[in-house]
Amino acid sequence: MASISLKNIFKIFEDGTTAVNDFSLEIEDKEFIILVGPSGCGKSTTLRMIAGLESISKGELMIGDRVVNNVAPKDRDIAMVFQSYALYPHMSVYKNMAFGLELRKLPKAEIDARVREAARILDIEHLLKRKPRALSGGQRQRVALGRAMVRSPAVFLLDEPLSNLDAKLRTTMRTEIKKLHKRLGTTFIYVTHDQTEAMTMADRIVVMKDGVIQQVDTPQRLYDKPFNMFVAGFIGSPQMNFLDALVSVRNSQIYLVLSQNEINVTGVFGLDERLLSYADKYVKVGIRPEDITNDEDFVKKNADKLITAKVEVNEMMGSETYLYLDYAGEKITARVQNARAETDLSVLAVKTDKIHLFDPNTTINIFI
Amino acid sequence: MALKKYFPVFVLPTLVAFIIAFAVPFVLGIYLSFTEFITVADAQWVGIENYIKAFSNDDFINALWFTVRFTVVSVITVNLIAFILASILTKGLKGTNIFRTVFFMPNLIGGIVLGYIWQLIINGVLQTMGVTITYDPKYGFWGLVILMNWQLIGYMMVIYIAGIQNIPSDLIDASKVDGANRWQTLRNVTVPLIMPSITICLFLTLTNSFKLFDQNLALTAGAPSKQTAMLALDIYNTFYSRIGWEGVGQAKAVIFFVIVAVISFVQLALTRKREVEQ
Amino acid sequence: MNSSSKAFSKAVLYAVLAVASAVFLAPILIVVINSFKGKLYISDEPFSLPDGETFAGLENYTSGIEKTEFISAFGWSLFITVFSVLAIVIFTSMTAWYIVRVKNFFTKALYFIFIFSMIVPFQMVMFTMTKTAAELSLDTPWGIILIYLGFGAGLAVFMFCGFLKSVPLEIEEAAMIDGCNPLQTFFMVVFPILRPTAITVAILNAMWIWNDYLLPYLLIGSEYKTIPIAVQYLRGGYGSVDMGALMAMLVLSIVPIIIFYLFCQKYIIKGIVAGAVKG
Repeated sequence: MASISLKNIFKIFEDGTTAVNDFSLEIEDKEFIILVGPSGCGKSTTLRMIAGLESISKGELMIGDRVVNNVAPKDRDIAMVFQSYALYPHMSVYKNMAFGLELRKLPKAEIDARVREAARILDIEHLLKRKPRALSGGQRQRVALGRAMVRSPAVFLLDEPLSNLDAKLRTTMRTEIKKLHKRLGTTFIYVTHDQTEAMTMADRIVVMKDGVIQQVDTPQRLYDKPFNMFVAGFIGSPQMNFLDALVSVRNSQIYLVLSQNEINVTGVFGLDERLLSYADKYVKVGIRPEDITNDEDFVKKNADKLITAKVEVNEMMGSETYLYLDYAGEKITARVQNARAETDLSVLAVKTDKIHLFDPNTTINIFI
Repeated sequence: MALKKYFPVFVLPTLVAFIIAFAVPFVLGIYLSFTEFITVADAQWVGIENYIKAFSNDDFINALWFTVRFTVVSVITVNLIAFILASILTKGLKGTNIFRTVFFMPNLIGGIVLGYIWQLIINGVLQTMGVTITYDPKYGFWGLVILMNWQLIGYMMVIYIAGIQNIPSDLIDASKVDGANRWQTLRNVTVPLIMPSITICLFLTLTNSFKLFDQNLALTAGAPSKQTAMLALDIYNTFYSRIGWEGVGQAKAVIFFVIVAVISFVQLALTRKREVEQ
Repeated sequence: MNSSSKAFSKAVLYAVLAVASAVFLAPILIVVINSFKGKLYISDEPFSLPDGETFAGLENYTSGIEKTEFISAFGWSLFITVFSVLAIVIFTSMTAWYIVRVKNFFTKALYFIFIFSMIVPFQMVMFTMTKTAAELSLDTPWGIILIYLGFGAGLAVFMFCGFLKSVPLEIEEAAMIDGCNPLQTFFMVVFPILRPTAITVAILNAMWIWNDYLLPYLLIGSEYKTIPIAVQYLRGGYGSVDMGALMAMLVLSIVPIIIFYLFCQKYIIKGIVAGAVKG
């Protein structure tokens, strides 16, 4: 079992593009770390550098207490689960799992015990004689996990392991992988572009963009305190709404002047200096769809926190309703509990204690 | 990557064989075409004299002309018949596989053997007129065409069958719904969609016909008096039957190579352009 | 279309196919028939069946086998074909893997030179190759295997490269993490995946080498005769040709191919199509 330390890691490709830019991260033993970001953000490249499948251009990578920059993948004490599963098509499930152990010349009985144990945990004992092509997507996924498990590696690397599964299976496998992590007590490093996976599974999430770490934090803190607009927009579904607002201070009250309404935020932020420094300047207001409500009581009580927007589409989801709104030409989304059919002009209130304010130039959260 | 260091294991055997069998002989061949030689060691530079000799050599011009005519006729007949058979065999008739097996079989027989099989048959037929295949070059010409058809039709047919089977049946249905008759469907749907097969079949028949040697040697060996010798056979004869003409033979070979290269490129460029992405 | 005209057009199609089949099979049949006739009757009446007077039993076969040393020719053909095909399949697939996975100027150049060699007609290098091979003492049945490897490399490398480009890199990376060195990765993981292409390459090359006449004739023909050389030899000398022996040898050359074809038909036709589509 091992901690991992990445110190100022760079990946610069031959054509000069920088895929990973000054990546530093300390991963604790037994931690479940998820690297998340849009495609091309460098998350997979980072994982592949940890695996040893890509060389490290600059920086230092330690697994446990040894530097492994120049150690071959097979000697790094890692196992990897690939997006396409990468099962050996000509070998049986059993052989797929045993292959790595055979190459390491483990005794036959030991190999057999480990393969059967892994198969039992993953519930694929009945498939051991089959070839990969005779398996469903979910079964292949399990075999790929099994192949990594039998090696009992210090670190588990998973590269978008669920992205080839259908939505329903993805949800079940999410829970299973989480359970597996608990059971194995191994460090997991997991790459995905799906923020839901990241939010539901990770101990800590690393949000990346253009090769640069944007924020490293627990799922909850990432959601509550996004460092910048990118993180704010990336985490949460549906996406956070961003509106331009002028900060206006009148009579010891702070207002956010939107294109059609004013919202009083004094009660939430007080006369916070960081906010006051934006007086008569513009900020970006980030409001999550679930923080815009049409609850009648709330609307009545918060007359100074209203927005009036035109409802374009009303999407009933069952337990909740998504309202797609036109707010003076800007498209915003609200996620409301009250399923009454909203039409035309709608008056909604903003839960101001949940809003986020960003500097329009740096895009950084002004309260950080 | 660690693989890079394994160059000697992965590449060297093939590369050495390739250099000995192809690269060195190719370069040497171009050089020798500008020299006079009997063995390689006594080569004397003569500039383009060999090329002048080659082009003023009646046998060579005759062979070139014969080869072109033969190629044109064979390419058309082979592809036409192969396509017709392929469209019959993709109609879902019973026994399709047996017919396919039969039509393809001659392709596996070597050129020398093929030549003698057809020599027997053609001579047998011509006997009724009291002549043999070597009596008139036109017998040799049509003999070779028949032989080529017999050998290649099955091969091309198999490729056309694969092409036709790859057309999504939706498309044929769609064209029927659109009111196309059978001929219109063939012209506007089938042919454009099997363009990749057509490309490859034209390429294979073109190059195979142009480079024909074994069949030519066995069927007529160029008789009467070299009039049915194709380019490959003429080059062979220049090399091995005419002492002192090795340089000319090599020059002819270079010309032959250039012609083959040019028609390959032109043909591929022309038909590839008409292929549609599916 | 109503059912009776449908049945009629079906009948027409079958008639066309039947006639075509007869045309395709007749030549082989005629040769077989003639191989049982006395040698003097063959040229005169090639289309008649043998009768009491013309029937020669197996005489043509025994004399043909003796004259051409057919048994040894068969042996040499088999030896050269089997080992050349093995060499081509193994070595060119290795080379192709290297070319596809190690991307640099050298491998790209190599790939293009291999492709280029495919369009060069044999006559272009016929003379110089024969001399070079003789110079290096490769004019032996073992040496010719190396020559075939060099000549077959173009098409084979091209086909393997085409297939390898579609093999996901992740499988090889998984093998690497599992502990394979490049040789183990190739032979334990990549080569088994290449099997369909390997079969195609093997079939195309086997057909070429088994039937090839000129290359072995020029290189080793004076000492070692393969089947095509033996057949040509029978005919080659001017003067009276033993038509009986020739017919028998033609039959003996065709029979192994047809047997092979009937057994491996599925693979052969698949291979031909795959080879053509890749080309």
